[in-house]
Amino acid sequence: MKSMKTSKITTGILVGILIVFLVVIVGFPLAWMALSSLKPGVELFTIPPKIMPQNWSLEWYIQAFSNPNVIRYFLNSLLIASVVMVVDMLLGTLTAYSLTRFRYKGRKLILICVLAAYCVPPIMLMLPLYKIVNAFGMPESHIGVIIAHLTVTLPFSVWLLVSFFKKLPKEINEAAVMDGANEMQVFLKVELPLCVSGVLSTGIMAFIMSWNEFLLSSVLISKESMKTLTVGLANYISSTHIDWGIIMALGTITTIPVIILFALVQKYFVEGMTAGAVKG
Amino acid sequence: MTSGTMLKRPRLITSYERRHKLIGLAFAIPVMVFLLAFVLYPVLYNVYLSFTNASLIKKTSSFVGFDNYVKIFSNKLFLKYFWNTIRWTFFSVLGQLVLGLGIALLIARPMKGGTALRSFLLIPYVVPAVTLALVSKWIMNSDYGIVSYWLQQAGLLEARQSLLAMQGPAMWVVVILNVWRSYPFPMLIYWAALKSIDKQIYEAATVDGAGKWKTFLHITLPQLKNTTIVLAVLRIIWTATYYDLIFMVTGGGPSGSTTHLPILIYQASFGSYQIGYAAAISMILGVLMFGCIIFYVAKSGLTED
Repeated sequence: MKSMKTSKITTGILVGILIVFLVVIVGFPLAWMALSSLKPGVELFTIPPKIMPQNWSLEWYIQAFSNPNVIRYFLNSLLIASVVMVVDMLLGTLTAYSLTRFRYKGRKLILICVLAAYCVPPIMLMLPLYKIVNAFGMPESHIGVIIAHLTVTLPFSVWLLVSFFKKLPKEINEAAVMDGANEMQVFLKVELPLCVSGVLSTGIMAFIMSWNEFLLSSVLISKESMKTLTVGLANYISSTHIDWGIIMALGTITTIPVIILFALVQKYFVEGMTAGAVKG
Repeated sequence: MTSGTMLKRPRLITSYERRHKLIGLAFAIPVMVFLLAFVLYPVLYNVYLSFTNASLIKKTSSFVGFDNYVKIFSNKLFLKYFWNTIRWTFFSVLGQLVLGLGIALLIARPMKGGTALRSFLLIPYVVPAVTLALVSKWIMNSDYGIVSYWLQQAGLLEARQSLLAMQGPAMWVVVILNVWRSYPFPMLIYWAALKSIDKQIYEAATVDGAGKWKTFLHITLPQLKNTTIVLAVLRIIWTATYYDLIFMVTGGGPSGSTTHLPILIYQASFGSYQIGYAAAISMILGVLMFGCIIFYVAKSGLTED
């Protein structure tokens, strides 16, 4: 009996140590970036490096935002991700509604196509999309990038939404149809209100994916004033003279909104993903 | 009831149902049109490009048959980059599955603050690759990076040296970074799979006197087999084609030691403007992935009701 108790305590301690270790490994890079962004220039380059800033300073943030391009990057990312989010929510919900509430020929084929599209990687689409966008004279607008981001986010969104729609009881739908409501009315007045939270969280996930996207944005945008945050930041890191303080500040402001948004929708994301992402 | 109404009723239902089905299909059309135009068409266009000598700096191009493919396979470096792709993919996927499963086992235990911990451990899933890239370049900076400093102090690294500048370790560094950002997905899926295993099986095993390790080996692992296969295939597709992280951290260097096929495709496209050649490389990658995609779509069980 006694040995069982001690073994329980040892497991407890071991689990505790493992958890602390994991939290440090996950948190360290992000915390180090945020702390570095708050250190004045002298402290950034001291050897040995100090963990905490001795004199907290916002100088890097001020310097970063005194560059008008940085504000443009922000607005561009915000605009692109917002449009992607809205389109994903609109088209994605319609498709998920269709796939879960109707039984027609070709339904299974559509499901398969969406799932296959979900697997097509951006690197394979890069060249063709570049040619298409240029052929239509779209490099001067954000439309090309928005389309590119939709190729990545739409299949994902449809997928997540299908898992939310599947959970709704079918009877509600049937009752409404009996009462003479047409399909669009059922969709807007009965089904949609029931999965608003699922639709919104899918939209926010699409926003995050678009905000984070790098490869297609970098290829499809050439004008400095049209670049997104990730592309602008990547240019900073690959330049010969690296302003570490500014980069840490920009990295921090790029990451914080994403983490906050994710925290808001996480519950639904976990629900949706575990309901349908990969079935064993 | 007359025989007339008996005959009429089924026809009424059929016409209603037909209309109903058509409307249902109509709801899915916008997305289907989009996917055909911007996913399927580009993929086919890529196939076509791979048989031409198209270039970004020439207006005209002509059909060259399999020339691009011959050129790829006669390039001695291609084998090296292909091998890099395999190493990168294998170790990244292995790492994230093992870590994902390990953490899932840890957080599947009932404990105080379990949900908060799970939420925290999911964060890397949404951290932009550019953020991870800039932090890793900073902590591994040869002069001021904190990780470089620790390694230098421990005598594992020479002064003013960085792991990212060394041919051997650079690949391991990008693999570790990739595992850091990609373990949350397998973690989540394993966590859900663990929760769905019938508790009674465990109870029966405990009654039979099986130890923890034995129950894990003989009950938990076999139950996770299908999940693992499907997960591994999906992650292979995404990892083998994943460009951003390596590009931003090492750019494929030093001396091509972290160059994998996605980097090669990018270099051929926007470094030397030979998009026909680049399309052929992505075709090789694509054909390998195509098998995985078919396997995934068939085995994921997602298209069943």
